[in-house]
Amino acid sequence: MAEGLAAVRSALMRKNLNVDANEWRNSVALTGHVSSWEQYMEAGYAAAGKGYEAVVNDLTVEGVVPFKPSMPEPQNPIDPDTYFDAVVIGGGVIGSAIARELTRWDITVALLEKENDLAMQTSSRNDGMVHPPFAVTPGSKKAHYNQRGNKMFAQTARELGVSLEWPGMLMLFSNPWQRAFLPAIWQRIKQNEVCGVEFWNRQRVFKMEPNITADQHGGVFLPDSGIVSPYQLTVAFGENAVQNGATVLLNTVVTGFQMEHNRITHVCTNRGLIQAGVVINAAGVWSDVVAGYANDRFFTIHGRKGTAAILDRKVGHTQRTILSQPRFASHSHTKGGGLVPTIDGNLLLGPTAVEVPEREDYSTNASALEFVFDHHLKLNKSLKRSDIITYFSGVRACTFEEDFVIKTSDYVANLVHAAGIQSPGLASSPAIAQDVALLAVKALAAVAGRAIQPNAAFDPCRKAPPDLRGMSLEERAALIRRNPSYGRIICRCECISEGEILNTIHSLVPVQSLDGIKRRARAGMGRCQGGFCTPLLLEIMAREQQINIAEICKSGGHSEIALQPTKNAAVDCASEGAGSAALALSAANNSRRQEDYNAG
Amino acid sequence: MPVKKQWDVVVIGAGPAGLAAAIAACDSGADVCIIEREKKPGGVLKQCIHDGFGLIRFGERLSGPEYAYRYHQMVSERGIPVISETYLLGITKNQTDGKFLLQMQNSADSIFILEARAVVAATGCRERTARQVFIHGDRPAGILTAGTAQYIVNIQGFLPTRRCVILGSGDIGLIMARRLTLEGAEVEGVYEIKPEPSGLTRNIQQCLTDFEIPLHLSATVLAVHGKRRVESVVIGKVDQSGQPITGTERTVPCDALILSVGLIPENEIIEPLGVEMDRKTGGPIVDQNMMTSLDGLFACGNAVHVNDLVDYVSESGQTAGKAAAAYANVQQQRGLLSERRTVSARRLINIQAAGNMHYIVPQRLDLAHHVGADDGADNCAAFYFRSRVRANSALLRISAGKTLLEERRYAVVRPPEMERITLNLADLNHICSPDWNDLPGQSRLIKAELVSVSEGGDSANDNG
Repeated sequence: MAEGLAAVRSALMRKNLNVDANEWRNSVALTGHVSSWEQYMEAGYAAAGKGYEAVVNDLTVEGVVPFKPSMPEPQNPIDPDTYFDAVVIGGGVIGSAIARELTRWDITVALLEKENDLAMQTSSRNDGMVHPPFAVTPGSKKAHYNQRGNKMFAQTARELGVSLEWPGMLMLFSNPWQRAFLPAIWQRIKQNEVCGVEFWNRQRVFKMEPNITADQHGGVFLPDSGIVSPYQLTVAFGENAVQNGATVLLNTVVTGFQMEHNRITHVCTNRGLIQAGVVINAAGVWSDVVAGYANDRFFTIHGRKGTAAILDRKVGHTQRTILSQPRFASHSHTKGGGLVPTIDGNLLLGPTAVEVPEREDYSTNASALEFVFDHHLKLNKSLKRSDIITYFSGVRACTFEEDFVIKTSDYVANLVHAAGIQSPGLASSPAIAQDVALLAVKALAAVAGRAIQPNAAFDPCRKAPPDLRGMSLEERAALIRRNPSYGRIICRCECISEGEILNTIHSLVPVQSLDGIKRRARAGMGRCQGGFCTPLLLEIMAREQQINIAEICKSGGHSEIALQPTKNAAVDCASEGAGSAALALSAANNSRRQEDYNAG
Repeated sequence: MPVKKQWDVVVIGAGPAGLAAAIAACDSGADVCIIEREKKPGGVLKQCIHDGFGLIRFGERLSGPEYAYRYHQMVSERGIPVISETYLLGITKNQTDGKFLLQMQNSADSIFILEARAVVAATGCRERTARQVFIHGDRPAGILTAGTAQYIVNIQGFLPTRRCVILGSGDIGLIMARRLTLEGAEVEGVYEIKPEPSGLTRNIQQCLTDFEIPLHLSATVLAVHGKRRVESVVIGKVDQSGQPITGTERTVPCDALILSVGLIPENEIIEPLGVEMDRKTGGPIVDQNMMTSLDGLFACGNAVHVNDLVDYVSESGQTAGKAAAAYANVQQQRGLLSERRTVSARRLINIQAAGNMHYIVPQRLDLAHHVGADDGADNCAAFYFRSRVRANSALLRISAGKTLLEERRYAVVRPPEMERITLNLADLNHICSPDWNDLPGQSRLIKAELVSVSEGGDSANDNG
């Protein structure tokens, strides 16, 4: 490894970085102080790919205080005798998919999530694309899982009752000379086994996408490009896991591990200790921190922020395919974003890619949005800025190797990592879950000294609530006759009924916030952005959970919408006795919903 | 009881425009019903518990719920059905018989179709959101539009803030500044990006000045901070083009940002019918009978353009309702005679807003049909317009070809304040004689020009 170290040091010297590099296990660790986040990033990349498994970037940066995971509000403690065979840390799409995969075995499974719902971070803050394995480096873990995951996606979505479409992606050439990349493109397609790819000339592109910019010179069409709701998929993984016996613990953050020799005995959380057979690290942007709790931080995660904008469903019909105009010659770490139809009928612009020191920084700024407009809005000439209904940011969990970390720890016998999962993590999720679950079961068998049996009762099909969007009018009418709550529209912009909202509140992973309802049922996702339905959602949630409106939160923590009763209402509330009526109504709704599930 | 399925006129929306339309249609002999997605009629008036409504209509200062109640009473007296808690999924028009099919959904009757000879869209408007004015920073709880805040305070009885900043000086924002203050919350200030306030002068006085709430012009919110709940907003001054001036930033601690940054007419339900829209008003283009470009489809109230006073909303509803009844009546007679001739075609001329006129509604005149208002002036049509700028002395000139139809002086015109005029159409029919019709299309229109003698800053807007 000494040669590698010399290579790293000389690379750092060439960049004029005053950084020390040393070997740590199979990785190279960087120490020292740099003046900017750019230098931090530069040093990390300079050290990557020099023969080490990964880069541990411990540089301190001028003016940057190291960020820590956000913490939930105080919660009720967990029973101190709690034991799970497998504890999955992180309720994103990866952790949730792994939890579901683990329930194929006859073991107890817990999924720990520090936020108040699944899919609260990167898994709800992306473009929802099921990528074809095109942009991934041949031979990488990314390429392997992207290929396998993409192929598994149709079946997974079917089992989970999650909408999935394959509009295909059209990569446009913005210059005639870009066609010179065609041989390289074909070679990549061959190496990565991308299926069904076609070259479309200018005329064919116009025929398929009449609203496209005139500034195009044909393009490459990749049919195996899908779209899905990433948060609905994540929740579906979680619900199916619970259905098969897993326990989801929300608002539960891991703060450390108790170790004996080279194995984890207890997971320390804000709610107390949990005994664990095997631990799976799917902690997203914090997966290196979690690895560090077991003294196994052999890689570093850095956050790469992406900002995307959502356009009104009104313009959704102006485009069929996912459009992008990649910069073929560039070495940037993003596929460049594009103009992506969403599964809900909107169009999404973006996302961008900006390195950020704070891993939970979901703020937006004008320059990121301008970038998105400048690069993508022009691709479809029927779009205007005023079609924007919202925008958001997410943070990708990247390693300096720009590859996934999927392995059993070399040093901790019962720790499996599923880390550094960024794009195409969504497309890869079913395949990653499959492998990680197998690794975990193997590790569990070894530490527990017993054979692990399959779970004979495992049902891969989620008991999905009725999907009204996919129904004919007759089917919908029949459903409303059976359960009238599906007839009452709450979200006027997206046409979401009370019944659909009740399903999220009484889900196997019950929703706890308005944002949760928004992501899962789409109430508040439309052009008025919840202006009309927010008060109605407050009323429904208060009634169903028998709590006061002032206790209902937008997201987690103290994010209440209403703070206190007004002067007169304070008097009225004191004399109110409607609690028992609300209870009866809620019970009636519950029994009806059960029938819908059975029917659906 | 099952819902009756066939109607002369179906009115979409039981707000002030829809209630007035239904009453007028009924009084003209039409078989009419109102469909409404909320539980109770009245639209947004239900939450407008301040007074000032009905000065023109009733000669009294009523609160919103009182104004709505009076109209609801008139609807009840006539036995007009209000099909409430019912949602309109979509509308189609049958090309053969010209009837409209409205696909409805509710809990009691699941999904059903209503058939109507004429439809009045009284669909109102929605508030522009924080994202549509490109507010950046974090997205915590506590960012809400003034109307949503008004619902939470006045209907639900909860305070959504203890100390807030209000962005935008639209009327709802001003009303809420006062309301929140009365409820014990602190309004740190109202910030308006334009150099002129957007709301009515009387609201600036009664809601801000009287309560010593500062109004900051040419200032806006640059960023919101707060992970869970709003913790502060960054305020900055802007230059004449609305760009932030560096060095003027100021952080204001608060727990909410309340927005009153404009209203957008809601026409998503009729847009798929291919109705022609006016880019300036955000509503459909209508003639003086409030008929859209699609025969038999009428629109009124804030769905057509954002009005400053509810009295005008009711007036346009009344016109639309009466005209819809007349249209339905003709349709019915044709049906009885089994005639296949088409409705006598409209003779439409365009009205062009010129000079400093931001927009004028109606945008067209139908010289072949004029239903007229109920106030006896049957030959008169009401027009509403807004100035693009503030001007201390303005001249309105309406002309057809070379003939001057109307000239009027205004001591002051302001974008937030809508102006109303009436035109006598008898003169017009005379002017727009057959030879006038032979003129090339460009000159065959009516020009409504607003010329300012002295001008304030440029401040076009549609705030109601």
